Amino acid sequence: MNDRTENLLLALPGLLLLGLAFFLPIAQMLLLSISGENGPTLDHFVRFLTDPFYLGILWRTVRLSLLITAICAAIGFPLAYIMTKVGPKARLWLVVMVILPLMTSVVVRTFGWMVLLSRSGLIPEILRDMGLVGRTFALMQTEAAIVIGMVQVLLPFMTLSILGVLTRIDGRLEEAARTMGCSFLQTIRTVVLPLALPGIVAGSLLCFTLSASSFVTPNLLGGTRIQVLAASIYKSVTATPDWPFAAAQAVILFVGILLVLAPYIKLTGTKNG
Amino acid sequence: MKLTFGTAVLGISALLGSTAFAQDNALTINSFGGAYEAAHRTCVIGPFEAATGAKVNVVTAYSADAFAQLRAQKDAPQFDVIHFSGGQEIVGAAEGLLAPIDPASLTNAADLYDFAKANLAKGQGPAYSIAAIGLVYNTEAVTTPPSKWTDLLNPEYSEHLVLTDISNGYGMLSFLMLNQVEGGDLTNIQPGLDAVGKLLDAGAIVVSTSPEIQQEFAQNDAWIAPYASDYAFTLRNAGLPSGFAQGSEGTPASFITANLVAGRPNTDLALKFIDMSISPEAQKCFAEALRYSPTNAKTELSPEVAADVAYGEAGVAGLIRFDPAAIEANRTAWVEAWNKAIAR
Repeated sequence: MNDRTENLLLALPGLLLLGLAFFLPIAQMLLLSISGENGPTLDHFVRFLTDPFYLGILWRTVRLSLLITAICAAIGFPLAYIMTKVGPKARLWLVVMVILPLMTSVVVRTFGWMVLLSRSGLIPEILRDMGLVGRTFALMQTEAAIVIGMVQVLLPFMTLSILGVLTRIDGRLEEAARTMGCSFLQTIRTVVLPLALPGIVAGSLLCFTLSASSFVTPNLLGGTRIQVLAASIYKSVTATPDWPFAAAQAVILFVGILLVLAPYIKLTGTKNG
Repeated sequence: MKLTFGTAVLGISALLGSTAFAQDNALTINSFGGAYEAAHRTCVIGPFEAATGAKVNVVTAYSADAFAQLRAQKDAPQFDVIHFSGGQEIVGAAEGLLAPIDPASLTNAADLYDFAKANLAKGQGPAYSIAAIGLVYNTEAVTTPPSKWTDLLNPEYSEHLVLTDISNGYGMLSFLMLNQVEGGDLTNIQPGLDAVGKLLDAGAIVVSTSPEIQQEFAQNDAWIAPYASDYAFTLRNAGLPSGFAQGSEGTPASFITANLVAGRPNTDLALKFIDMSISPEAQKCFAEALRYSPTNAKTELSPEVAADVAYGEAGVAGLIRFDPAAIEANRTAWVEAWNKAIAR
């Protein structure tokens, strides 16, 4: 038995699982999305792409995902940077703090936000007591609630991806920049940030794909009135039920994410390839 | 040898006898699981077994599932009595899956309100209880109980109103009623959608499941929600001050029917079971346990229970049954139109 067959044998269970659990369902979904009463049809796609209502859902999904990714990066980068600068013990605690929320189910964390953001919840109550907002102010069932909840869920992915890259950057590069006359912010901008780009890109990819396809948090915090694509797919499957249309929406989500990811991947490819 | 042979024959005949006996004396029915099935056992199944000595096998299956099974078993039906809450008996009777019932064979049939036994001859079993849809409200916040469906449009309630998504069965019936009082009908739901749009702009919220209604009443200062009468009871059991009011324009209702399956051997026993389901005692028990409205005019309820259901001639006079077949036919289009109407 040569090395190649050995490798193949070792990879076989994984490949089988991938084939059964990923390619088979995806292929089935693709078939379902073009199935009509009289043979293959693109009607479901046409219906989605010509209806302002569904295009609005698609646009909201993309827009919110971009916003969530940007906020995660804006919070995640400084956090990861600070984590590389503190002592090993403090870093360990910071890593634990970042990872800890991942140990709790997304549903439980989202319910926590529901308690905080609802009409009689802590945050609207405080804002009301301070006289900043009206009597009926509520954060639940708004896009803001979705963004807040999703950022909390996805921040660890961003922070850890950036941290992984930052720890490998030679600290002497920063010292060199400072001795050459760069201010702290200039050092960050011209030295650290470009070197950390692969981490930021990897984290952004994770955040964007996870938030574009997430269902639980947007559904619970945004409610039935603010639909994202995943919630719309769920409704098509359970409430209507219109499986081919649901499959078409899933394909559009899939292709949409691919389209956004392609330039991103190219970006890192040219920088580091 | 002779003796053993004789014993064997005796044994076999006894065995055959007991299986024959079991077939004669057993019924297979469906129930809806959970608290409903528990009440079903207490109110009907238990007393029936005690009275007849028969054995009742309960299969847990919701209306749609039970109907799918009934259709699949067309040539060899397994259920004796089948219960539906979504109007499936109309289709089942038309397809000949359900047997017509002679009102004379049910001792309690004479006491049923007319609407509950209207189509016995066609094969649609009697309605033995009713989920009445009306206005569930917070009795502390709303001092004058609402009395009309149009009260939902009262600006005082607008920020405290909870609507239920029409993917929910009761949400659908509430919406169709709102549509009707706004001038629409089953061929035109636009007036209802317009009204919902106005209510949402004024501050109402939409939830998609019943536990969310409870959450809104408990945490988010909700005062009023169009929903089923049994839910006001659920809220009260959870410690929330709540009452139920019927709208004067009518009360949409979901009928829960007990149907006789065609082509089964134990028709007499099955009829006895159906007869017990529509007895005043069973209906009183259901009303006390879950606050479903009785359909037997002789059912006597305490004032406390009566306040939560559609009770008496006056209470049931306004019951409206939206055609389940029309709802089914339009569901996909309506759900999509509703989604568009409520989307922000």
